[in-house]
Amino acid sequence: MMGAGALLRPRSKSNIGDKGIAYECGELPVGSAWVKFNIRFYVIAIVFIVFDVEMAAIFPPATIFRDAVLGQTPGLSPALVFLELFLFVGLLVAGLIYCWVRGDLEWVKGITGAVPKK
Amino acid sequence: MSNGLKLVLFAAQLLTVASAILVALHPNVLYASVSLLFAFLGVAVMFVYAGADFIAGAQVIVYVGGVTILILFAIMLTQWLYKMNLKDVPAKLGIPVVIVGVGLIPALYKVMRELAAFVEKNPAPDLEKFANLPKTGVIGQALLSNYVLPFEAITILLLGALVGAVWLARPR
Amino acid sequence: MNSANFANSLQTWIGIGPLWIWAIVSALAVLFLLALPFGGFATYVERKIAADMQDRVGPNRVGPYGILQFIADAFKMLGKEDFIPLGCDKFLFNLAPVLVVMGACAAFAALPLSKYLIGADVNIGILFILSVTTLIAPGILLGSWSSANKWSLLGGLRAAAQIVSYEIPVALSILPVILISGSLQIGRMVELQGWSWTAEGLKQFHFWNAFHNPFTFISMILLFIGGLAETNRIPFDLPEAESELVSGFNTEFSGMRFGLYALAEFADVFVMCAIVTALYLGGWQIPFLNLDELWVTLPTFLIALIQLTVFLAKTFTLVFVVMWLRWTLPRLRVDQLMGLCWKGLVPIALFNVLGTAAWMWIFKGQSIAQLLYKLVSG
Repeated sequence: MMGAGALLRPRSKSNIGDKGIAYECGELPVGSAWVKFNIRFYVIAIVFIVFDVEMAAIFPPATIFRDAVLGQTPGLSPALVFLELFLFVGLLVAGLIYCWVRGDLEWVKGITGAVPKK
Repeated sequence: MSNGLKLVLFAAQLLTVASAILVALHPNVLYASVSLLFAFLGVAVMFVYAGADFIAGAQVIVYVGGVTILILFAIMLTQWLYKMNLKDVPAKLGIPVVIVGVGLIPALYKVMRELAAFVEKNPAPDLEKFANLPKTGVIGQALLSNYVLPFEAITILLLGALVGAVWLARPR
Repeated sequence: MNSANFANSLQTWIGIGPLWIWAIVSALAVLFLLALPFGGFATYVERKIAADMQDRVGPNRVGPYGILQFIADAFKMLGKEDFIPLGCDKFLFNLAPVLVVMGACAAFAALPLSKYLIGADVNIGILFILSVTTLIAPGILLGSWSSANKWSLLGGLRAAAQIVSYEIPVALSILPVILISGSLQIGRMVELQGWSWTAEGLKQFHFWNAFHNPFTFISMILLFIGGLAETNRIPFDLPEAESELVSGFNTEFSGMRFGLYALAEFADVFVMCAIVTALYLGGWQIPFLNLDELWVTLPTFLIALIQLTVFLAKTFTLVFVVMWLRWTLPRLRVDQLMGLCWKGLVPIALFNVLGTAAWMWIFKGQSIAQLLYKLVSG
């Protein structure tokens, strides 16, 4: 589709005059195109990875959960399966609560009142 | 395996190797991490051919969706990290690397020989035949019965990683 | 579970040609008959719905009732100048829309359009869809970076953080369905949501998953909200906020590149609504009707057509709701958005997973419908 566009569109240069500079609501760009480092993006990404791996680990047992509960798997009792799943999810809920209480999930520190404690 | 499937496998392997070389040798850190993304995708395709379809899906979700984003965040938010170039590394640091690399060649050769012997003895089953076997269920059952201790240990490890990471990121 | 995919179905119905030709034909068919027309038509439908809700007319010049508007838009976009901003990273600028479109359109291959019309009923069905839609996040991030515009970069960072955060409630809301269905295959999940008027059949089918137990009903709503956030739709469209960041991460993209982004967004909306439909609203199952139990055996072709219509009707209803919400709700601020995800949706989703597991354990996997039937009959 990009190729079709290349055939159809009129040729024109992007560096004529001021056309190529970054768009900032009509003003000239101020400062360099960098954003000051915000650690909250990184913290969110790390918390995401932890929960992502947790989910990837829950998927296979979840697949077998129904058969285990209906008693169709030998060697696995429903209570045991439920307990293991509960333990797994429960420990991560504890981690989430820890982060929440210590204020690490706040996007903007200080506005909503929860400041991360030392 | 049909020729079409073999072609796709070959393309995936080529993509992985080329991306891996780029990751190590590309002067621009951002392009190196983009190559890493493609390396992950290539590995996921190879997992499918090995019959580990669940692992392939988990690979894409965790690595492409998570680790790549993490690395890209780090690079995009840090000005000096982006400006870092492979060319800035002084050449004399390369000498120990070359020595260790050359020294590892006999070990690598031995490993390849053993791997080839193993593959000779256990040929891969027909892809179309085992594509429909229940594999994720088997993993799940194993995780809940034989390997339940590692299963719960995973969650403790994750908990430790979570607490450690947010502790490190706190303002001092 | 046999592989009921497009290529096999086409080969059996038409009968000639090797399988790989039909595989290519079905892949192209999915792309050109489903993803692209839907993406284009959705832009027209959205403008008409917006106009109706804002008490005006909307596009009505091109074709009857303005239906051909999106084709005119496509031609306009193709003819626009290929603008590349100064100082941008050309390779990534070109790569980003490709990644995003790939992520959005590849998921179409695994959607269960009918019992006999699934592109590829892979063993890891729903996991495949989840993993393919995660390709969108790096695509948006790289695109916003390569624009050499700090507003784009900020929009892209926020978009990536948002998409990545809301993947957790989405995946956790898919888990109850996996717990209930005992399989990752989407075809199987939809089959189990059937209905039967015989006692034997009712033991097998447990009606729509949304009404299986109270926890799954909440899960469905969570999945829908998470899907809204994944596709950057209002009330979560801060990354492309029209009044704040100019146009967010796609400020510097014009012409066909922007067209690709818009197409990917609508394709993703369709995929998310299709997932909610397939997992919770019974996919191609007609309520209170079982096509295999009719007094006359319908030909497979007709059954597939009926099921396709049902599926599309349900999905389009959800897409309509998505568009409706766009013109109804205000936009969430970024810290409200993140707070909603991590402090609201994730705890509720985890609670749903545990609740569903508990229900399955206590009631041996039976749904409310099955329990009521037992109560009434026994």
